[in-house]
Parts: sequence; C-alpha cells; structure tokens
Amino acid sequence: MVMILKKSKNGFWTLLSLITYKKKDKPEEFYIPEVNEGESRQVSQEKNNDKSTPSTNEKQNTQKDNKGLKKPIPVSELKKEKTESGVKKDENCISCSIDENIDFINRMFNAPVNKDIVVREFNIAGHYKAFITYLSGMADKITISNFILKPLLAKKSVEDAEEDCKLDYILKNVIETHQAKKITSPNEVIYEILNGNTCIYADGCNFYISAETVGFDKRGVDKPQTEGIVSGSQEGFNETLRTNITLVRKIIRNNNLVTEFLTVGERNKNLCSILYIKGLANPAVVQEVKRRINGIKTDFMLGDGMMEQFIEDNTFSIVPTILSTERPDRTASHIMEGRVAILVDGAPFAKIVPVTSHSLFHTPEETYLRWQYGTFIRLIRFLAVALAALLPGLYIGLVGYHREMIPTDLMIAIVKAKENVPFPTLLEILLMEVSFELIREAGIRIPGIIGNTIGIIGALILGQAAVQANIVSPVLIIIIAVTGLGSFAIPNYNLAFGVRIVRFLFILAAAALGYYGITLAFIAIAALILSMKSFGVPFVSHLGPQVRQSHDAILRWPVWKQEYRPDPVNPLDVRRQPKISRKWTAKDPKTGIDRERNNDDEGR
Amino acid sequence: MMKEDNFGTKEAVSLATLAIITKVFYTSPFVIVNSLGTAAWYGTLVSCIVSLLVFLLLYQLMKRFPGDDLQAVFMKVLGKVLGRIVTVLFSVYLLYYAGMNLREFLEIIKAYILPYTPPSYIMITFLSVVALFAFLGLEVLARFSYLGLWIVLITMGLLLTFGSTYYNANYIKPYLGYGIDKTIIYGVLRSAAYQEFILLAFIMGSLQGLKNFKRAGIGSILLSGGVISISLLLYLMMFQYTVGSENLSGLFQISRSIYLSRFFQRVEAIFLFIWVISSVVTVAIAFYISISIYCKALNIGDHRPLILPFSFLTFLVAFFPKNLTETVEFHMLFIRQYSSFVVYGIPVLVLVLSLILGRKRVESRNEKV
Amino acid sequence: MKRYKVFCLLLILLCWMLAGCSPDLVEIDEEVYALVLGADISANNKIKITLQYPSYKGSGGGGSGSKSSGGGGGGSREEIGVYEGNIITTVEASSILEGINLLNTAVSRQISLTHCKLLVFSEELAKQGVEDYLAPMMRYRDMRRIMHVIVCKGKAESFIKENINTIGESESKAIELMATQSLNNGLFPRMTFIDFYRNMLSPYEQPLTAYAGINDFSKLSSGDEETASPLKIPEGYLPSEVPRKGAARRELAGTAIFNGPKMIGVLDSFETRCMLIIKNQFKRGIVTIEDRKAPGKVIPLDVRLGRKPVIKGYFENGVPIIDVRVNIEADLGAIQSRVNYERLSLVEALNGQIKEFFEAGLRQTIDKTQRLNCDVFGFGEYIAGNFSTIQELEAYNWKKHYKDAKVNVTVEANVRRTGLMFGSKPLKSSQ
Repeated sequence: MVMILKKSKNGFWTLLSLITYKKKDKPEEFYIPEVNEGESRQVSQEKNNDKSTPSTNEKQNTQKDNKGLKKPIPVSELKKEKTESGVKKDENCISCSIDENIDFINRMFNAPVNKDIVVREFNIAGHYKAFITYLSGMADKITISNFILKPLLAKKSVEDAEEDCKLDYILKNVIETHQAKKITSPNEVIYEILNGNTCIYADGCNFYISAETVGFDKRGVDKPQTEGIVSGSQEGFNETLRTNITLVRKIIRNNNLVTEFLTVGERNKNLCSILYIKGLANPAVVQEVKRRINGIKTDFMLGDGMMEQFIEDNTFSIVPTILSTERPDRTASHIMEGRVAILVDGAPFAKIVPVTSHSLFHTPEETYLRWQYGTFIRLIRFLAVALAALLPGLYIGLVGYHREMIPTDLMIAIVKAKENVPFPTLLEILLMEVSFELIREAGIRIPGIIGNTIGIIGALILGQAAVQANIVSPVLIIIIAVTGLGSFAIPNYNLAFGVRIVRFLFILAAAALGYYGITLAFIAIAALILSMKSFGVPFVSHLGPQVRQSHDAILRWPVWKQEYRPDPVNPLDVRRQPKISRKWTAKDPKTGIDRERNNDDEGR
Repeated sequence: MMKEDNFGTKEAVSLATLAIITKVFYTSPFVIVNSLGTAAWYGTLVSCIVSLLVFLLLYQLMKRFPGDDLQAVFMKVLGKVLGRIVTVLFSVYLLYYAGMNLREFLEIIKAYILPYTPPSYIMITFLSVVALFAFLGLEVLARFSYLGLWIVLITMGLLLTFGSTYYNANYIKPYLGYGIDKTIIYGVLRSAAYQEFILLAFIMGSLQGLKNFKRAGIGSILLSGGVISISLLLYLMMFQYTVGSENLSGLFQISRSIYLSRFFQRVEAIFLFIWVISSVVTVAIAFYISISIYCKALNIGDHRPLILPFSFLTFLVAFFPKNLTETVEFHMLFIRQYSSFVVYGIPVLVLVLSLILGRKRVESRNEKV
Repeated sequence: MKRYKVFCLLLILLCWMLAGCSPDLVEIDEEVYALVLGADISANNKIKITLQYPSYKGSGGGGSGSKSSGGGGGGSREEIGVYEGNIITTVEASSILEGINLLNTAVSRQISLTHCKLLVFSEELAKQGVEDYLAPMMRYRDMRRIMHVIVCKGKAESFIKENINTIGESESKAIELMATQSLNNGLFPRMTFIDFYRNMLSPYEQPLTAYAGINDFSKLSSGDEETASPLKIPEGYLPSEVPRKGAARRELAGTAIFNGPKMIGVLDSFETRCMLIIKNQFKRGIVTIEDRKAPGKVIPLDVRLGRKPVIKGYFENGVPIIDVRVNIEADLGAIQSRVNYERLSLVEALNGQIKEFFEAGLRQTIDKTQRLNCDVFGFGEYIAGNFSTIQELEAYNWKKHYKDAKVNVTVEANVRRTGLMFGSKPLKSSQ
C-alpha cells in the first residue's frame, strides 16, 4: 500500500476508487413490447436505422461496442481499418476497363501468390474482351464450362446485341445458370467469388455478372449426433447453410417463412441466416436479433457456437440462454412458436432465441410421443438434473453434517467400509468426480469405436480398484455413477456442462456449511437464473406474470389442449389451434360422411 | 429514481405471505402457546383480523393517493421534512427488523444444526445471498418468493402430514385456553405478527394499481393467517400446550420427531431448506425496502451503492442481543408485539391527518399544473 | 482491473474462511454411534449410565460376524465390554452429558447420541423418579425424542449386556423391530420418549413405558410332570416370568406405569392389552378364551379393534363419569372342541362370551389403575372438555381425582370371520 501511495498522486485516487462507487451508464435493456405497444418502438428503431446508412452502420456499432466493453484497440486493428477504408475510397465503383478489373481481382486475391483464384480471359463470341473469375475448388467447374463458357464462346451468341455493354444482354440471353445477377460494387464481387460463384466481366461495362456455380464437397444429411431420439425424424443438420435451410423449409411449408442473410466476420465473411415466420414472430425480436448480429465486429466467425457467445445476454451465466439444436424438426417447431432461428454456415447447429428455461429440458421425443409418456420422460429429466447437480453435495452434507438422517444400519455399513480409507469424504468425492470427468473427456477424444468401451471399462475398473485399494468407500462409487447417469440424461449439451460445473459448487457449499450451505447456494443460483433474460424474455418465465397458462412447459398436456403459443415469446398470433381442435369429437360419426365436404374449409 | 420492475398479484401475495409466515418456523409458536395455551391457534386469527382491519385503513389512505408509494404519501401529507423523517424511521425499523430476523434464524440454526460454527460465518454467507437479492432487484425477489412460497407450503404440508402419527385432537381442550378475554387482548396486541403487509404499501409502484394492492394485501393476510393457524393447531395437537411452550422452534421440533418407519426418521435436515428459504426472503425484502425507501427519502438515485453499507449495518444489528434470551424476550417481543404501535400507528395517524387536512392526490395534481 | 482486485480479495477471504470448513463438519468414521442408553442408580455419583455401540470391525453388510476378527479370547474380550460386535461401557458421573465426555477418556472416537434408539431405566431408578434424566434428553440436540423408553427389572447395565441380536447382525434393526412387535401382539406398549415426556407434563394422562426384564429360563417346566396343568386364562405375564427358553434373555412384557416422574406400579401383559385397547393402540393380537360348551378347551381369537373406542367424560353431581364403549372384532383362530360356532345360533353366544371376557379384563385393568390413582388411559382428555379454561383444568387436577371417577365400560364384540373353515365335523375314532 505504501508503494502505491509513493508511486504517484494517482495512487491515492486508485485507492479511493476501490472503496467508492461510480455509477455506470447502462444502455437501455432490450425487452419485447406487447404486440400493440411494439409499433411505436419499432418506428423509433427504424428511424435509427434510417439515419445510419449501411456503410456507417458498422462504424457506429464499433463505437458503441468500444464504449461498452472498454477494450483497448490494438495497433494492428487500427492499421487494418485504415487500409480497408483506403481501399473502399478508391474502389467504390467498378472501373470500365478490363485491365483495371483484372488488376483489381488479382490485387484483392493476391493473385500471383494465391493459387486458388482463377481469372480466365477470353473473347465473347470472338469479338468482345471479357474474363470470368472464380475460386477453384469452391466453384463447380462443370457448371462453368457447360453453362457459362460454352454459350459465351459460341460465335453467334451476342451478334444481335446492340447495346454498348454486352453484359446486360448476356445476363438475359446467354448465361445458362439458374441464378445470375448484376453486381455493381467491388466488395460484393469479392464476396460473391468467395462464396464460390463465378463473376463475369466484359470490357466497357461498369458491373459484373455473378452466376451461381457453388459446388464444393460437403457432408450429406446424417443422423443427429447429440440429439438422437427413438421415435420421430432422424434428420440432422449438416455444415452447409443452404441444406440446413432447406431441411427446415421442408417441414414448414409456408410462404411466410423468411430467410434473411447476414454476413459476420471481417475477414472470413461467414454467412449467417435468420429464419422466422413473418406475421408470427414478434418483429421486435427479429429486429433485435439483426441488431445484435449486425453489431458484431469481429475478425473471424467460425460457427454458431461463436455466434452464441457474441449475441447472448448473460456472458457470465452458467446456463445457456440460447437454445442450440441440430434437429430441423425441433428448429421448425420453435419457429412455429414464433421464435427466431439463427443458422450459421459451417456448423450443423441452429440457435433459437428467445428461449425459456424449460425448453432446455425438452426434446422432440415427447412431441412425437403421447402425452403420458412425454410427461413421464420429462419428469425423469428434471430428476436427472436434480441428481446430477445435487447428489454429491447432498452426500457430503449428509455424512459430514447430518449423519442422524442416514438409517443406522446403512450408516454403520458405510463407516465399516470407510474404516480403512484415510481420506476425508470431500477429498474422496473430488477424487472420484475428477476421475469421472477425465474418463468422460477421454471417452470423447479416444478415436472411433474404442471410445465407448474405454469409458465403461475405465469407470468400472477404476471404481473397483479404488474401493479395493481403500482409496474411496464403495457407497461413493454409487453416488458418482448415479450422478454421471443424471448428467447424461440431460437433453441439452450446454445445460449438461452448466450442471457439471454447478455440481462442484454444491460440493463445496455442502462441505462448508452442510445443507444450510447447499440451500444458500441453491437460492443464489436460483436468483441469478431468475434474473436472466433471453432476448428480452425472462429466462424462467413460467414463474413470472403470465397471461395464458402454457400446457407444454414442465408437464406435457394432451396435444389438443395446447391451444396457445408460449406466452413469453409474445408472438403476433397467440392461438395455435381453436378451443375445439378435434372437430370430430363434436360430431356424430354416422353422418360424418355427408358433412365432410362442408367442413373442409373449417378444418385446421 | 431507481428502476423497480413490475410484477403481478401472485408474486406480491407470495412476497408478503412468505414474510409473514416465516415467524412460525422460529420462536413464535412457543411464545404464543406460552401466552394463550390451547387457544393459540385461533388467537392468531384475532391478530389476523385486526391486521386486516388495519390493512383496510391503509388501503383507504393509499386510495386517496393512487399510484403513490407509502413514503410519497408521507411526504404529501406530512410535508417534506416530517415525511422524510418518518420514512427514514421506517427504513431504520426495517433494518432492525431484518437484523433481528437474521439473529433469530442464526439462533435456531445454531441450536439445532450447526452448534459450533462461528455466528459470523453463518451470517456473512446468509447476508451475501440477501445482498445478491438486493442487487438483482425487487422483481427477482418477488419471482423467487413465488417459487419459494410453493416450496415452503408444499414442504410444510409434507412436514405436518408426516407428523400426523402424533396428532391427538383432544389436546386442544379446554377450548378457551387461558380465557377468552386474555386471548382477544393478546391477539390484538400480537397483530404486529402480520405487519409485513405494510411492505406492500412501500412497493406500490411495482404492484400495477390499487386493485392489485388490495388483492395482494387481503390475500396475503388471509393466506398466512390460515397457514399460521393450521400449523399452530397441529403443533398443539402434537405437543399439548405444556411441552408446546418449551420447544425453541415448534415446527423444527415436529420435523425432528417425525418417525414413519425404520428408515424414515430423524429427517429434519431435509426440511432445513424451507427454514433457509423463508428466512432469506424475509430478510431480503425487509433489507431491500429499507434501502429503497432510504434512497427515496433522501433522493438517492441508485440503491446499489448502499447495499454493502446496509449489509454491514444489518450484520451489526444482528449482533445487538447478547444472547438468545435477550433476542427472544426483548427484541422479538418488541417486533412481534409492540411494534404495531409504530408500524400500524403511523399510517393510521397519517390517514387521520390526511382526512383532517383534506389532502388528496387530486390537489397535488392541481398544484403541479 | 479494480473489480478483479476486489474479487480476488474476497476470494482469498473466502478461502481463508473455508480452509477449515465448519467446525461442525465431522467425518462419519470419527464418531461412534450409541444405540442404547441405560440409566442406573449410582453409588459413587449422581448418575450411572451404560452405553451400547457397534464396533466397526468386520466388513460392512455381509460376511462373517465380528467375533472372529476380535482377536483375543472371548472371556477377556467381555471384560472390556465387547459382546458380539457391540461394545458396552458404563460410567458414573455427575450428569449424562459429562458422563459421555468422561467415557471419551478411553473411547477413541467421539460418542454421538444421534442414533440412540433405546433408553433403559432400571426399576429402582424409575421408582425413585427419573426427572433428573429427562432434562438433558429434552434439551440436548444430539438426543432423539423418538427413541423408545423402557423400564427394566434389575439393573439397566445387565439388561443391556443381554441385549444381543441373536438373529441378524444389525443391532439397531433388532432394537427397532423388537419395539414394533408391540403392534403384532400388544403384550407391551410402544412408548417413544416424546410421548413419555409429554404425558409427564400433561394434565390429561399419566406416562407409561414398556416393562422389560431378563429371563433366566427357569419358569419353563422341566417336562417331567405327569399330568397336564389346568387351563390358565387370561394369560398375564410380567417380564422374566414368561415360560420360555432360547433366543435372547431380555424380554419385554407388560407396562410400567408412572405417576409423574415416579414409577408406581406395573400392568401385566394381559392388562397391557386391555389398556392398549382403550388407548386405541391395540393393532392386533391373539387372545385365547375358554370354550364354554367344552370346558378345558380353548378358542384362540385374532382380535382387533372394530373402531376407535368411544369415550365420553362428564360430571354428574361433581363426580367425574367416564363412559367407555369398545368395539372389538375377532376372527376365529381355532375351535378345539369342534363345536360349530360359525352357525348363526351360536355365533351370538360366542360374541357374548368375548364381550364378557373383555369387559372383565378392562374392568380389572381400570380398577387396578384407579387403586394406583394413575390415569394411563388418557381419560383426562375427555374430562378436559368440561372445563373452559386451562386455569380451571389445572385447578381441578384430574390426575388427583382419577381415583374418584366412575368408569363405565361396555364392550361390543363381533366375530367377523371364521378363518378358512366354516364348520368342523367331529373327529371319528373307534371309541
């Protein structure tokens, strides 16, 4: 302390600032307005958006971010910004000369060094100078040669054209690919090439044509790896965004299902799409999702996992506030509830926002099952979470503080077994927990088919040997095993992580203060979870004020009873189905054949 | 002003109910049984009814100033200076209340569960959770109390059901206890046991209207009256008035006495958590409102910087009593019995004053215009 | 950075606090758990207590008994109190709690009373009054109020020495199951400490406990007698008088009844059944009555209560009157005489006989308690309804006036079922 004081006058202020409080400016928290209320807010937000043209939008966001995070900007980044803005100034529009354009492409892709970029010069119909450019490997060469080069090189292809720039004519009449469009900005050109499209340029034009030639190797649609179910669809997402969107669209055949594309990542320009149903999802949520994704200023965006960390509300929370799923059917059902799905290219997962806590306990399994079975497996899952989080802690509290609760015979058996074990129970349990986590982690990393075997054998042998070597008591093995089973039964992979970490907290709390400590830890964690929000929706919403009772939160009611969409999401259309959704129950089955036609338009 | 989130009637009811019924877990049953004998179970209903009347008076007061918190009403009726003094008085009282509840909790925990753990250790961990609640704000507290009330009521129901092997309905004879006159006098005096409904008036702003306030107040008083009465009745049916006036914590003694079978006995530890939950919520709400009205009275914008100092103060207050005897015989007696003169007296006086002075919300609006 | 500094500071503080955990954290194997606590009159000091706790030798759960792993010879082991996996220690001290501390001069682990299941008072001690022993049991947090209480003939110490589990390995199981045998036969009451203590304070009723003793197997006839002994009905036994042999020497039979803290008398096993019937604690039991149509033959009945006894208490001219109406149901266990009591004409007669049998038994029991002026039935609960306030009740003092009460007993008996037979045909022989 003396040191600090000596150092400078500032030292005093540093010291003072440790015990005084400075109020922080807090930006207004996002919330979802009620459907009627939302309009005014939306208008104001749109105004904001109007003010900032797309080019300045990013800058504004970076300024905001910098303020919020107080992150110093490294010199390299400053430099980068400078150079990029320099490029933009020079090349905001496309030059009319073919040489300059070739030069531009070569420069942007570091052509002589970079071997991937292909620039093929040729004469259209033998007269007009032109070139096509694409990234080799990203584009499908057969498409290019058959449907772009061949027609262009054919002698008579552009003979009738009378315009100065032949590209317009070519776009309309010559190119034979499905998608082709005009591109007027150099940045877009680069982006198109990066995506695997082929860009065509002809001398004298001030734009390019981008023809869809994407064709790279990808994995086929496979079974979901982490969310397997017994009954129901067995399709999972793969790494291609387009395929993933198709998988969802295949389930929701609705013209209002909107896919919006955004790019994230300064350098890798990853494609990310937002899926929602227009007229069902609350526009404020869509707006907010776009605002957050547009507000990401980062170098590199690998996939949805990174995206989640950039846009989630509570960075320090132990449970995820964004639902991650690799199942198209699950994504679809969430979209149909008025939520927004975010898909990022390159990762076989969809992120769904906003979610409430109980979504983390759901699987599509119970949607496919009858409600009795669905409710049963859900209750099992709640038990699983409770066991996985609490059991070791409860055991520590039990044997450390509340020994009177153990049935006497069992307790004497435990003591007898522990008689030769030198370690305290806390150490025993930590030892076993750590080794269990080790086995788990190793089981994933060990290649191929050995993985599973090693897990089981490792656990069995380790447990047995530890007991025989008097390192742990046998009861503990049961505790750890049940805990492990519990954590495997949690359907959400991220939640399972959270529970595994919380378990250690409970162990420490129990060791420190017994059940009193566990209860305090429980209250604290509950309070923190209750205070969390996922995109404006209270994370634990069925405890909050609610207008309509959900029939699919903790227990699952018969499917015809689930008349409303989840209340907290505030969808524009709250009703899922009419009060009587099974119209046939109200009718006389004998005369049903005659009436059938009349009721067709009512049927939902 | 600081941001206070809104919540519904259910949350408000559970907030007040949990705060009121917490005392049944602690020394309150033996004190009541000691004074009222077999009449304890309906003696508390007398207190309940008196409190209901006071609440209706309070409602009349709040009705004259729709949308205002109680402290704003104080300011408007008593003037700025006196209003502030009264508000700060309430703030100090609530701090004392929080501290004493913490102390009572500590005494029970030390007596039954953790006899050798240092008190400061228990209190600091407890207060850190309370401070967390104060930091997260009223909405989280209210929503947690809604969850907590369910847990507490269900577990209490289980606890009382498990104890049913001992119940003997004859133990509530003779029905009049120590005499009907004594029951009524003590019941009226003890109406301070339901004083926590007054906290609702301080968070009017979050209650979304007078109608919710009325519903929350009446609902919480009646619900907690029922819960306390039933648990006292069953307590008497188990322990008689004789042993009943000896047990330090009545309900905990029931949980210690549960004997269902060879393997289901001595299970008090699993019931411990309702003691902790209800105490945490009670102390947290008194603590939060103490800070909140202090801030409002002195025009402090953000309550968060005050959490640490106020926690420290609560910690100090909890160390006031030298021993268990002083806690029970002086401090708890004051809070549960005589504090009604302060807590009920002031709002009623303010109501009388506002009637005499004819002050209403409408006037103030006109002034502003 | 500031926030991290503060956070680290707090973390260090927390670690420092957590370093030793709480002083209340005790490893499970650092304690021994006393199962039985016995109290005797002490010669040297105020109290003398005997503790029985299990030894941790031998594997948990199954396996051979701990005896084999005991090491030295059986005789010398018993000197230091090791009996079949149990250790029994006795100490004299000024108070129970200090006595336990004193025992730790030799016992290597902290003695915990949290699992104490049985409290044994010696009869001499109970007659002098047990109030000194109650104080810590109600107040001390280790003590369980749900432990069973018994009074034993002779010394508690010797009773505990005979408290050996002959069937299984687990002593605690044996103790609990022994106490619950009361539910199967009603020969002794099952009394937990909480009830015992409450009744001592109660204005309504007097406390009682099960009565125990050590049987030296001498009551059993040697088997040399020529003629069969005449029928003895009803069978009422006191502990150590049950004619049996084998199994553990300790036995529970009958009831010790208390006036306040002092034991003043006993009820034998039949009277205990009658008492439990009135208290509605008689679950079931086999009662044998004599067959009137064939003297010397018996009819064992599986008896239970048809419904809760209806008891009314009121005053007439200042005399407390208690009306007891008991409804007894019985199933036929056997009819030695092979008379067809199942027939409609006879079943009523049988009912009447059962009714008389139990009326006599209840009468006898009530008279005995009135002679002792000890209301173990809880009639006071029904008298209390005649007083409006506690002051009046306590001023009247029911426990004092019980002997003046007039108790009317009516029994309604019903043979409900006849077992697996409906009628029996006579046995045929050549005579």
